[in-house]
Amino acid sequence: MNYHRYIDLDVINGPGNRCTLFVSGCEHKCPGCYNASTWPADSGHPFTDAEADRIIDDLQDTRIIRRGLSLSGGDPLFPGNCEEVLKLVRRVKTECPGKDIWLWTGYRLENLSPAQKAVLEYVDVLVDGPFVQAKRDPSLLFRGSSNQRILDLTAEHQLAESA
Amino acid sequence: MTTISSAIQSTLFDTPNSLPYPVVRKRDGSYTPFSLERISQAIYKAGRAAGIDDFAYAGQVTALVTAKFLGQEETCVTEVQDLIENELMAGQNKAIARAYIEYRHDRDKARERSSKLNREIQGLVEQSNAELLNENANKDARVIPTQRDLLAGIIAKHYAKQYLLPKDVVVAHESGDLHYHDLDYAPFFPMFNCMLVDLEGMLTRGFKMGNAEIEPPKSIATATAVTAQIIAQVASHIYGGTTINRIDEALAPYVTASYEKHLATGKEWGVPDAEAYARKLTEKECYDAFQSLEYEVNTLHTSNGQTPFVTLGFGLGESWESRLIQMSILKNRIRGLGRQNKTPVFPKLVFAIKEGLNRKAGDPNYDIKQIALECASKRMYPDILNYDQTVAVTGSFKYPMGCRSFLGQYCDDNGEVHEGRNNLGVVSLNLPRIALEAKGNEARFFDILDQRLMLARKALDTRIARLQEVRARVAPILYMEGACGVRLKPDDTIAELFKNGRASISLGYIGLHETINALYGDEKHLFDSDTLRDKAIGIIKVLKQAVTQWKEETGYGFSLYSTPSENLCDRFCRLDLKKFGQILGVTDKGYYTNSFHLDVEKKVNPYDKLDFECVYPPIANGGFICYGEYPNMQHNLEALEAIWDYSYDKAPYYGTNTPIDECYECNFTGEFECTSSGFTCPSCGNNDPARVSVTRRVCGYLGNPDSRPFNAGKQEEVKRRIKHL
Ligand SMILES: [Zn+2]
Repeated sequence: MNYHRYIDLDVINGPGNRCTLFVSGCEHKCPGCYNASTWPADSGHPFTDAEADRIIDDLQDTRIIRRGLSLSGGDPLFPGNCEEVLKLVRRVKTECPGKDIWLWTGYRLENLSPAQKAVLEYVDVLVDGPFVQAKRDPSLLFRGSSNQRILDLTAEHQLAESA
Repeated sequence: MTTISSAIQSTLFDTPNSLPYPVVRKRDGSYTPFSLERISQAIYKAGRAAGIDDFAYAGQVTALVTAKFLGQEETCVTEVQDLIENELMAGQNKAIARAYIEYRHDRDKARERSSKLNREIQGLVEQSNAELLNENANKDARVIPTQRDLLAGIIAKHYAKQYLLPKDVVVAHESGDLHYHDLDYAPFFPMFNCMLVDLEGMLTRGFKMGNAEIEPPKSIATATAVTAQIIAQVASHIYGGTTINRIDEALAPYVTASYEKHLATGKEWGVPDAEAYARKLTEKECYDAFQSLEYEVNTLHTSNGQTPFVTLGFGLGESWESRLIQMSILKNRIRGLGRQNKTPVFPKLVFAIKEGLNRKAGDPNYDIKQIALECASKRMYPDILNYDQTVAVTGSFKYPMGCRSFLGQYCDDNGEVHEGRNNLGVVSLNLPRIALEAKGNEARFFDILDQRLMLARKALDTRIARLQEVRARVAPILYMEGACGVRLKPDDTIAELFKNGRASISLGYIGLHETINALYGDEKHLFDSDTLRDKAIGIIKVLKQAVTQWKEETGYGFSLYSTPSENLCDRFCRLDLKKFGQILGVTDKGYYTNSFHLDVEKKVNPYDKLDFECVYPPIANGGFICYGEYPNMQHNLEALEAIWDYSYDKAPYYGTNTPIDECYECNFTGEFECTSSGFTCPSCGNNDPARVSVTRRVCGYLGNPDSRPFNAGKQEEVKRRIKHL
């Protein structure tokens, strides 16, 4: 997997102080996308263990306390990214207890593949759906267009656990 | 009786003055006949000044000079003076030559000054002097009262330089070695800088204002109305900021009075739940009262020709009444001013945060901290004052006077006193200049710094001296009616009020960042080098040592103040650019950085910025503020709270700058584009000052640069500010 940009302290993409990773690779190619340069999967820089370690370190920082990790892009659920992203979110949940994970994807929750769903087991909040230019609304929180949804997955995880 | 001149005339110049001498062109272009008498008088006077009373010699030299002009048709004053000088130099009496040259020099200086005075007045009349007109972002120089104030300022400044201040101080001020702040007010007028008004004392004991006796108020609505009156009066008698310390506690009794009044009404009319009724009405009254106060402050024009620089300090009160006041102040600010709900820049709001009171969830006033966060995200104010750090750094808890001036601890027979205390004024050093003069030589830097410190001390002493014989009647509101915490008689002197650290008097400094660059080169950024950080701290410690020593010597509250560089950032840099040329990392940006602040172009997160800056307030504890540049935080109060909480253990006084500009054409809210020429809506390109609201922090205060432009240096600095997140 490649990534475009890593922000070690971000207050824009999600609530509280966050670490935010923009990965490369996206097949939706939504017209009007604000991150079109991230579409090619081979753009940006390789995401290695060193990058993952850095994210874990930042999330564990006791001086500047992060609420969690935000994954955006590109599309973190782009098929070529799923394996690496799964590894990352699994590490975050085991090594950084209490930190939440937000994930932005252009797919709809209903249409996800098993590989993509595997990632979601570790995700607390999913912002889903393609960006639709006609439904663009700059006043929306954490979303570009009104068709996109903010889905709290923690309730579902709890249900799954108790079942 | 024979005058000197007629004596010279009769003894030396029997020849009638009818020889073919040239006509003399004066400096203003007009002509005057050639006068032997004037020449001889000038030489004779020069002789007297040198202690030589010699008519004959004056006559001889005059003859030599005049001989040179015979047959010439026209000459000018300078040519005549040059020839006199030459003849005197060639003559046997060098002392007279020297006296003449000195006299000529002084006259030139005086002439230069008075023509400068005329030019400045002309600049005001023709509205062409941008420096003067934009000097203070809070003054609208287009209106008549402000113009009268500026005119008074021009003359006060001129007079002070000419007649009141020591020559070396004037030269140092004019050349930019140091800056004698607020010369347009003091020392010409016996005024001081900023203060904490003893509001509680004035309201509880009553006072006289003009011809009216003001009784203790009987409701919160009256109390805030009276407070507005007091602010207007006080601000007209001082030139710096007017702070109401702990307003939520000072005005709480009047909320009680309102409640009791409403409760009595409720009972009288048999309202079923009279208490709830009274609470409701009191809440409404209190909210409206603080709305009126905000409007008053923003519509007031003091006799200084400006909206008063008012700061309201609040947050520590725990009673229902104090809480209500805190919420009323914040909710009014969140609502905004007027039909368009504009962001007011005054009063400045400073909200205190205290462990166990409002810092953490579960604390009794934690809910109010949440409102304060919302308010800061939408209106930039309040800045926060962290209780424990404030006590640790300044010796006791009190809000800043004006935007950032802090008093030290002071006790009288009844214990700690804050209300009614003040600052006597500031003189700031141009640190980068010293570094440039030292040419990278550290030892030389500290030598020059020592000399400049002595000069700054001399300048500050003039501020104290000016207030020595002054009587209370010059400012009844301050000295006779209680604002300064005393009730003196008209003929009492005020000097005692400022002694033993009751008042502070401050040495300021600017451009620590550029100083380090000038001394050690700009290859390594100050932020990135522990060695350079230590060097920078070392410099500020030397300043601190100086003021501590002065305090011990005199008993006056000398303090070290981190100067907000609203005008100075532009002025010092401009003068140094002229003197030293473009020097990378020093004079090349068009401004000097505010006091100890991190270079505005350095991209670091606000946590690291705080760590970098927080070492300075404990040293420069007479005045400081730290802040960070943020993106829009309206939807992430949690992150804003995280940095506030982080600051609690780091810095006493913290402000968050967020983009809150508004376009009334397209309803855009966020950050306008800042260019060298002004501010523009990024969404529709609108830059009509009447249809936008642009708010930026100027020094410790906010300003509206759309309607009153910054100076060029400040505009450049604002343009270069980098977000820390
Ligand atoms: Zn617009």
